[in-house]
Amino acid sequence: MLGQALRRTAQMTLVVFGVVTLVFFVLRLAAGDPARLLNQPGTPETIVQQVRERLGTDRPLLVQYGHYLADLARGDLGVSFHGGQSVRDAVLEALPNTAALALVTIVVASTIALALGIAAALRPNGLVDRSVLVYVAVAQATPAFWLAVVLVLVFSINLRWLPAIDLTGPKSFVLPVATLVITLTPVLIRTVRQSFLETLSEDHVRAARARGLPERRVLLVHGLKAAALPLVTLIGLQAGFILAGSYVVEFVFNWPGIGKLTLDALASRNFPMIQGGVLVAAVAFVLVNFVVDLVYAALDPRIRLRAS
Amino acid sequence: MQVEVGWNGERKERGMRPHDRANEMLEEAESRLGRGEISRRQFIRLTTAFGVTLAAPGFLAACDVGDDAAETPTATGSADGGEPTGSVRFLSAENFWADWDPYQANALSQFRLNKQIYDYLLDFPTGDLSKPEPMLATSTEQIDERTWEFKLREGVVFHDGAAFTGEDVKASIERASGATDVEVVHAGSWVPTTVEVVDDLTVRLKTERPFGPLFSALFNTQIVSAADLAGKAASLKNQPNGTGPWRLVANEPTRKVMDANMDYWAGPPRIKEMIWEFVQDPQTRLSALQAGQAQAIDRVPPEHLEIIESSDDLMLASVTGIENVNLWWRPGRFELRDTSPEFRKAVAWSIDRAALTENLVLGQSAVADSFVPAGALYYEPQSPAYTFDPDQAKELLTAAGVPDGGPEFELWVASGFLPRAEQVVQSITDSMRQVGLKPKIITTDIAGMVDDIFSDDGTGAMYHISWASSGDPNGALAQLIGPGGVWSDKDKRVHSLLADGAAETDPDRRGQIYSELQQHLWEQTPHIPLYYSDFTIGHTKKLVDLRVLPNQFETYFYPASIQE
Repeated sequence: MLGQALRRTAQMTLVVFGVVTLVFFVLRLAAGDPARLLNQPGTPETIVQQVRERLGTDRPLLVQYGHYLADLARGDLGVSFHGGQSVRDAVLEALPNTAALALVTIVVASTIALALGIAAALRPNGLVDRSVLVYVAVAQATPAFWLAVVLVLVFSINLRWLPAIDLTGPKSFVLPVATLVITLTPVLIRTVRQSFLETLSEDHVRAARARGLPERRVLLVHGLKAAALPLVTLIGLQAGFILAGSYVVEFVFNWPGIGKLTLDALASRNFPMIQGGVLVAAVAFVLVNFVVDLVYAALDPRIRLRAS
Repeated sequence: MQVEVGWNGERKERGMRPHDRANEMLEEAESRLGRGEISRRQFIRLTTAFGVTLAAPGFLAACDVGDDAAETPTATGSADGGEPTGSVRFLSAENFWADWDPYQANALSQFRLNKQIYDYLLDFPTGDLSKPEPMLATSTEQIDERTWEFKLREGVVFHDGAAFTGEDVKASIERASGATDVEVVHAGSWVPTTVEVVDDLTVRLKTERPFGPLFSALFNTQIVSAADLAGKAASLKNQPNGTGPWRLVANEPTRKVMDANMDYWAGPPRIKEMIWEFVQDPQTRLSALQAGQAQAIDRVPPEHLEIIESSDDLMLASVTGIENVNLWWRPGRFELRDTSPEFRKAVAWSIDRAALTENLVLGQSAVADSFVPAGALYYEPQSPAYTFDPDQAKELLTAAGVPDGGPEFELWVASGFLPRAEQVVQSITDSMRQVGLKPKIITTDIAGMVDDIFSDDGTGAMYHISWASSGDPNGALAQLIGPGGVWSDKDKRVHSLLADGAAETDPDRRGQIYSELQQHLWEQTPHIPLYYSDFTIGHTKKLVDLRVLPNQFETYFYPASIQE
């Protein structure tokens, strides 16, 4: 067990290391000199060079990389190119906001997916099933940024029920979470529905019914447990989507999270801030997958047996 | 009312606010609007052109409903003897790139923030750099072509309580102008200038050589405490200490919170708290304004104008910016352009600029007719007005020896920078292709474009981009096409005229020089001026007396107020 944990930790570290390395080099090899962007045209080259020296972008790439890794090992993510704020502080301030958004989204999306997926699977081709499938088709075809704007227009500007932007309290979660949930649920509902349909036709469910177990128990104990497995897997796989999806949502709703922090930094080539944002996203991604593996093992004894 | 001697011996009434002078213009504009001689948008342009977006929401509302029953809100706040009230949240379109280190940044967002926190020797409430008004200086006199004397205002204090004196002016001007050992970015728009402190309230600025754009340089140079510059410059990076109407109380990367300076020499601001926040997405800014979560938003794009104009609660403040949106040729990258005036003119005749401004930028701009922006000093419209004339363009291409239009060249456009840039460039390339030219569109972001412009191995021949300025032709042109400028053709006549203009202090003679320069540039067509883009702020009608100027996109919240 210890060996497996160590192996997983090494794998995760390698993935994060690979991501931060890739981002470090891609940022610097892509077009866009931060020092030049900080100055107006006509600024003497000596001044621009001074700015490069101040930012450290004048040094050879591998030297910059070495400094970056050394700082990273000490937990130092550097300082912003603009204003000199600590990247670690900025990231730590933004992280809980993104985490809260992602968590609420996952809880709401999973609940809706289970409810609609099971309801649809109980009577295939029935009215509920067809309605759910129509919702899935429409939601799948709806872009998140468009949906966000429409929701703001209706609920914030016309009805004045909810804030249009910012994180100012519980009400602020409604529109961003709704946007993410509507974008996320189609694939989850399809998976739950399909999984439940297969489960309901399996021998152990039929056996349970034959034993005279109440239908509710058959569905919630025997059916749900089996149907939950692919849902958990999918949520793990969708963790990246939730993070990436929340980038768009954070941007549109001015949500003070990692996504907004990174996108704001990207436009101005604020390398340390981008690297900090991507690092957090990478760590979150591997951790979520790690947790999913644990949950999966808890739900499915075959996984535990294989691991042991 | 206290009376003191102002510019050139004029008597001025102390306490007279810029909008008092502009009220006459407002009345005239209101009258013309009422008679139907001008549109609502022209009305907004006219009023803001005189330096302030005046308290006209009631009037505009009356026009909307077609009667005179609309109520004009009553101002509250310190100007009426009350305490500053309310909070204004302004959503900026430009990130706060720089820190507060004095004179070490020339980002527009930093200038606009500095304006709220610092004072300047002179104020330019109409945006006309030839018409200064008192600020920290109460009068000025030109002693000779290198020396200017300024009388300073008494009783001014910095936010930290220190008294303002001539020593602060000396430290600030000498640092900003590059007359000290400290190398600063601002020195690029100055000539080294020393300051003699005659007494606490009198200083003499002596420029190293005659310097025509002195007022333009002063427009950009905030006055910082000498003690801060001497000892605490490092702390100034995070905590500015000015004499202006607001004090910085929270300095977050994308959010700046300011409180009213109750000791402000001209009286406390009417707004108690001001929040400037960077919000990149125009739709998000608009949503916040419509939902009442922001009171003013930056850079309203053309597609949002109608939404704001049709709102009962919102209004626009729009001025034609001192910003040329041009197609800039990068010298040395496309030989035909470098060597053939006929080819350059053929390109100029191949673009339908009127259609661009009317249909794509939705009238949020004016067709450019000079290399000096329309709002800048000494601007003179040129002729011929290059219109879309395919026959003329083809004739010129034949004269240039390339009847087939010549080889392909890269035309770069930055996505998400200028309004509708990609559509504008697509339209331009379509019309260019009609005469045989072969532009190839390269789309990137602004960082990628700037990198390609300045890189030795850049591949772009032409770029769709704009540069803003303070409103002096020296600032608008010298850094771009002067010696060392990336867009410079090393045209000796251009360089000579630019040098003459910068060194000339007599306004009439400067005017002649820049007139000659504009004619020469129009004739040579080294680049293609497209249009002067508008600078448009959207705000709630409750926010009145907001000053919106094209110069460096100034957005000044003193003495604005937020109505109950």
